[in-house]
Amino acid sequence: MEEADRILIHSLRQAGSAIPEDVQSLRAFTAELAVAAVVGCLQVLRPSLSSSLSAHLPPGMSARFRLGMSLAQACSDLGYPRELGYQSFLYPSEPDLRQLLLFLAERLPPDPTQESAQPSVGESAILLRAVGAQVRELLTEPWVPPALRPQKYQDRVPLKPLHVQPFVFPKANTPEGASEVQEFQGGPLVPPVPAQIPCQAIRAASFLEEHTAQLREVPEGDAPGDADKACRRCLAPRLVEQLRQNWGQATSSASGARGPGRELGELLCTWGPRGKGSRFTHAEKFTFAQEEKVAHAPPLAPAQHPSPLSPLSPAHLEREVQAGQEAELASLQGCLELVGHSIQEAGATMKRLTLSTGQIEAEAHQDWLSATEREQARRLKRRAVDLLPDAPSNLAKLQVVVEASAQRVIHLTGQWERHRVPLLAEYRALKKRRDQRELESSHRAAELQALQDCVRVAAAEARRKEGLHKQLVAELETLPGDMARSAYTHRILEIVGSIRKQKEEITKILSDTKLLQKEINALSGKLDRTFAVTDELVFKDAKKDDSVRKAYKYLAALHENCSQLIQTIEDTGTILREVRDLEEQIETETGKKTLSNLDKILEDYKAVRQENAGLLGRVHEA
Amino acid sequence: MELSEYVQRGCQMLADPGCFDLAAFALVLRAAFRSLLEARADEAVLDHPDLKHIDPLVLKHSHAALATCILEAGKQKADKSTLSACLEDCKFDRERIELFCTEYQKNKNSLEILLGSIGRCPLLISDVSWRLEYQIKTNQLHKLYRPSYLVTLNVEDSRSHPDISFNCTMEQLQDLVGKLKDAAKSLERATQM
Repeated sequence: MEEADRILIHSLRQAGSAIPEDVQSLRAFTAELAVAAVVGCLQVLRPSLSSSLSAHLPPGMSARFRLGMSLAQACSDLGYPRELGYQSFLYPSEPDLRQLLLFLAERLPPDPTQESAQPSVGESAILLRAVGAQVRELLTEPWVPPALRPQKYQDRVPLKPLHVQPFVFPKANTPEGASEVQEFQGGPLVPPVPAQIPCQAIRAASFLEEHTAQLREVPEGDAPGDADKACRRCLAPRLVEQLRQNWGQATSSASGARGPGRELGELLCTWGPRGKGSRFTHAEKFTFAQEEKVAHAPPLAPAQHPSPLSPLSPAHLEREVQAGQEAELASLQGCLELVGHSIQEAGATMKRLTLSTGQIEAEAHQDWLSATEREQARRLKRRAVDLLPDAPSNLAKLQVVVEASAQRVIHLTGQWERHRVPLLAEYRALKKRRDQRELESSHRAAELQALQDCVRVAAAEARRKEGLHKQLVAELETLPGDMARSAYTHRILEIVGSIRKQKEEITKILSDTKLLQKEINALSGKLDRTFAVTDELVFKDAKKDDSVRKAYKYLAALHENCSQLIQTIEDTGTILREVRDLEEQIETETGKKTLSNLDKILEDYKAVRQENAGLLGRVHEA
Repeated sequence: MELSEYVQRGCQMLADPGCFDLAAFALVLRAAFRSLLEARADEAVLDHPDLKHIDPLVLKHSHAALATCILEAGKQKADKSTLSACLEDCKFDRERIELFCTEYQKNKNSLEILLGSIGRCPLLISDVSWRLEYQIKTNQLHKLYRPSYLVTLNVEDSRSHPDISFNCTMEQLQDLVGKLKDAAKSLERATQM
């Protein structure tokens, strides 16, 4: 019971009842504690009731009675099967209270730890939750085309998209700045800072952004991660302080009806004058400020404000900006056209020149070819002319030479044939081998492709599994780290083990009893049989002998007495069992303390009557 | 109103009577307002004969600082007391503060209209369309055989702003898609807090 009580008390604590640490079993529960525990459970189960129930016992008797009755009513509404009265709470008896609390604890939601842990989380978690709620709200909104959106006041002036460009900021008197840099910045190449960006709105936005960056003291060219960190470093303490202040105000004003998102917006608004924050908050801030301003006091007509500069109405401003942009665009386009034109001209000239170069080269080549041809013809003719003086002998010589060369040609042809055949065979064999190799390599390539596919599939699988692992780890982390859980499981297992041991003992006793029963049955059977045989024997002899007749009578009497004795013993056993049952019943009844409870109830009744009488008297007096 | 060190240094130079006399200060002040409020910024805004004797670097620095100061004041809707407190921190004397405040009051409306016309966010993307092209060769490379994506992001309010078009390789597009997915996941995680 101790273990069960401890588990029960643990779950009651989780439901939000303030039970002191030293209370370890239900026996130590006072009326106060019982009421607190039941009210705690009811607050979780029936949040609507919680306003009418207080966890503390009121001092007046009638108020106590009313609280007890309403608790009893609420419990029976939840479906508690047993009878409940106010005395069950004010004078709790251990078994009844255990039944009731078990009934309530079973109905508690499975994971009340989160609800009970909620009030203890830090401010940052509250902020994150508020941000999450806001984002969720925005995500559930469907997208609407801009034409169908409700027009806000400031949307009548078409807004320029927020765009920021970097500046070159001339720095005077920098100790580390090199003199060349200063000279460059002071020179005519760097225009005054506002003139570096042509568009007016971008200029203003860039100025503000740059100033915010300077305020944050993030060094230029730092890694974005570092900048982010630095920003956070200087933002965090301010955030916490601001949240603490506003949170305190919000809770003390006790108007808890506002959603967390709205509160966040207000928090951020209260931040305004500090001049720090992201570019979005800045932009939002000054547009809101603008809106307010416009809403409170419509802008005066420009004529009422004499100014040396041209006064800017939205339309005027727009027109001027557009005109400026158009003029710039036109000049740039003119420039572009001019440059394009010159590029085209140069291209045409180049093409023409390349063409003529090609022509000239071709002509030169042709000339060279014809020159070499003519040179050859000339050489031939020269040799023929040389041979002319001794014509017949030269002719014979030439004939011999021609014949010899004809012979040589025949000889060479034969030789060529001899070489050609094996070379051709080799060529064919090589060709065949090459084909084979090609086939093989294509096979290999296909295999390689398949392997690569395999690798890709495996990699994808690995990535998927990694993701799954990460998700599971995250899930594991989000699971409530219930320390008591394992301890309780351990205890439950122990209890189950002891129950199993008890069961074994019970079966042992049962088998013993059965064995005994069997023995008794065997003995009584033996007795019956012995008696029957003896009876028969003695009865046969009894007809002849007188003393034997007497013995027979004694035998019958003995048998009868013995059976009576056995009967008596059995009766005694049943009576003893009944006595034990009754004793148990008496014990449970005395455990309920009915009498003392009755006394207490009577006293309560008297107290209520007294109170009523006092009240009546006061009414009369009044 | 909080001013950065750069701006404070620039304002302190302006407040120094040895550097800028009162007339020069008034000139720089008007130039700062003019260069902020005019649609086309004039590069010659500081080319005034009375400012010739001042070091151009100091002049530009003070001019930028003053412009930032004016914009910041407009953003915070600073009233006269805030302004004078802030300027006193920069060692301005009474006359200069007076001059600044009158000039600021004169141009306050225009300044607010200018600040109000700045949008709250970059362009909103409402849709995207894309095309796949396959490059076979280029002027420089004989063989290329590479796919490339032509992406067009449709922006909301497309009357005043043209759509954004760009082309990218497959890796770049994958990178972009991965980053977008990361962003979506981060948002989702934020909602589950």
